[in-house]
Amino acid sequence: MSRPLRRWAGALLIVFAAAVAATALGSVRVNVRDVLAILASRLPWVGSLIPRTWSAAHQAIVLQIRLPRVLLALVVGGGLSASGVLFQGSLRNPLADPYIIGVSSGASLGAAVALLLVIPKGWAGYASLPLFAFAGAVLATLTVARLGQRRGRLEPTSLLLAGVAVGAFLTAVVSALMVLRIENLQDVYLWLMGSLSGRTWVHLSMAAPYVFSGLLLALWLAKDLNIYLLGEEAAHSLGVDVQRVQRLVLIIGSLMAAACVSVTGVIGFVGLMVPHALRLLLGAENRRLILHSFWVGAVFLLAADTLARSAFAPLEVPVGIVTAFVGGPFFIYLLKRGSSFYG
Amino acid sequence: MDKMRLENVTFAYGAEPVVHGVSLSMKPGHFYGVVGPNGAGKSTLLKLLDGFIRPREGTVYLDGKDLRTFSLAKLAREIALIPQSSYYFPFTVEEMVMLGRAPFYSRLGTPSARDREIVRASMEITGIAHLAGRLASSLSGGEGQRVTIARAFAQETKVLLLDEPTTHLDLEHQINTCRLLQRKSREGVTVAAVLHDLNLAASFCDHVFVLAEGRLREEGPPEEVFKPELIAEVFRVTVPPLHHPLTGRPIIAP
Repeated sequence: MSRPLRRWAGALLIVFAAAVAATALGSVRVNVRDVLAILASRLPWVGSLIPRTWSAAHQAIVLQIRLPRVLLALVVGGGLSASGVLFQGSLRNPLADPYIIGVSSGASLGAAVALLLVIPKGWAGYASLPLFAFAGAVLATLTVARLGQRRGRLEPTSLLLAGVAVGAFLTAVVSALMVLRIENLQDVYLWLMGSLSGRTWVHLSMAAPYVFSGLLLALWLAKDLNIYLLGEEAAHSLGVDVQRVQRLVLIIGSLMAAACVSVTGVIGFVGLMVPHALRLLLGAENRRLILHSFWVGAVFLLAADTLARSAFAPLEVPVGIVTAFVGGPFFIYLLKRGSSFYG
Repeated sequence: MDKMRLENVTFAYGAEPVVHGVSLSMKPGHFYGVVGPNGAGKSTLLKLLDGFIRPREGTVYLDGKDLRTFSLAKLAREIALIPQSSYYFPFTVEEMVMLGRAPFYSRLGTPSARDREIVRASMEITGIAHLAGRLASSLSGGEGQRVTIARAFAQETKVLLLDEPTTHLDLEHQINTCRLLQRKSREGVTVAAVLHDLNLAASFCDHVFVLAEGRLREEGPPEEVFKPELIAEVFRVTVPPLHHPLTGRPIIAP
């Protein structure tokens, strides 16, 4: 096998091993062999050949509860990280994250409206909630994109400022709603912190199509994004339609992030830290960066979520707290260690 | 035949024109200097030549054809522009220079052996081959400038436009950069650079364009153009008529 191929095989193996381990771990231990056997029994053709040595309860836990959650953690972690690469690139700002132009505040408002005004109490995480959050994220992003234009052109600085302004405004609206409907406060508050608790195949099916088609489109645009990093004039001179690339990249990144946020709530730090850390390690070339951010982000969020649900079992910590708790110090370490790339 | 030609070109960002009724032409194998005080429209002129912005009035021609008839991809193989600012994400020097080959391979493809050969040659000519694996963002100003010039060389275009390629460089690097550009022009390339240092323009350029308030005030070989009267009028500086004792080229010093 060639070297890059071997590297990718290694990455896939890590993802697979992490997924199996995370599925085995939890308040009810299922041993790894049973996990593998249960998974294998669902395969076409060979599935019927596997002898059934496990209990029905374990099968239900693995297939109905843990596996969708594990896969969702992978998809959302990968999606937020890849989207982070797109935002940092298209805004030419290594400190941008997928939430910087309104995705999270819009999704939060959508979710708050759903939880406080539409969906009955105690239904948090139910399937209609993501639709509200997704609509909120898309509307907020469109508003920011509209405000961030100068003479019909998108400008990174204007976009960032518009993102901050719209974000502050929407957050204020969410807070006001929370105060007005204080009896549902906990639902909204937990959602805002981001969690994968209780998420099922429905949620996975909502996020995965956006994340995977976004990933493919992002790879398709990676070369243009490399050139785009040189600045508008240089990129134009190298044959890149700067405005078109910027628009496409922002749309793709926003849709990926919106799909993730709408099913899990606002999980911070992954989309900022993973791309940034990998850029320090691998350099700025975007095809490489997008692919590696995807799998590293996937495994990172899976590890964080597994920790979130097992560290204080049976109590669950929102995964957003874990990502920030682990991510913050690690990020500081990287910044202290790394050279100044952006000076 | 003229490589590029501007015909009565006017451009404005707002209401006030930045470039006003400029007509000029540039031949292959010449090194052109674009000089003038701040705000004279020098950078805008380069952007017009590159097709980054389009004239409000008048026409820009490349090889006798209206620049607007060229696609972006085609233009990238004809004209290279090195703008003033560069954004430094952590690309290695080699990756940076390889971006100059981007117009020549497909979006999912990888550079060919020939692309790599051209990149290596460009790095050698500009004297940065030993820096290939270094991060471009970690280089000094002079080295960084040579990286962007190597990138433009790798693009292998017949027209090379540079916006202040010598700013922030020390004397040695200023002179080396100009020598490099002069040598490139001798290979048949049309080179045009915005230069703030009139002495560099006087020493190295075959032909200078003097812009003032968006208009082409004067043009010609530096020894004919850089007269004390013109310097006084355009730059509002009084200078004596000095000449280099060896080359006879004008020297502009107070």
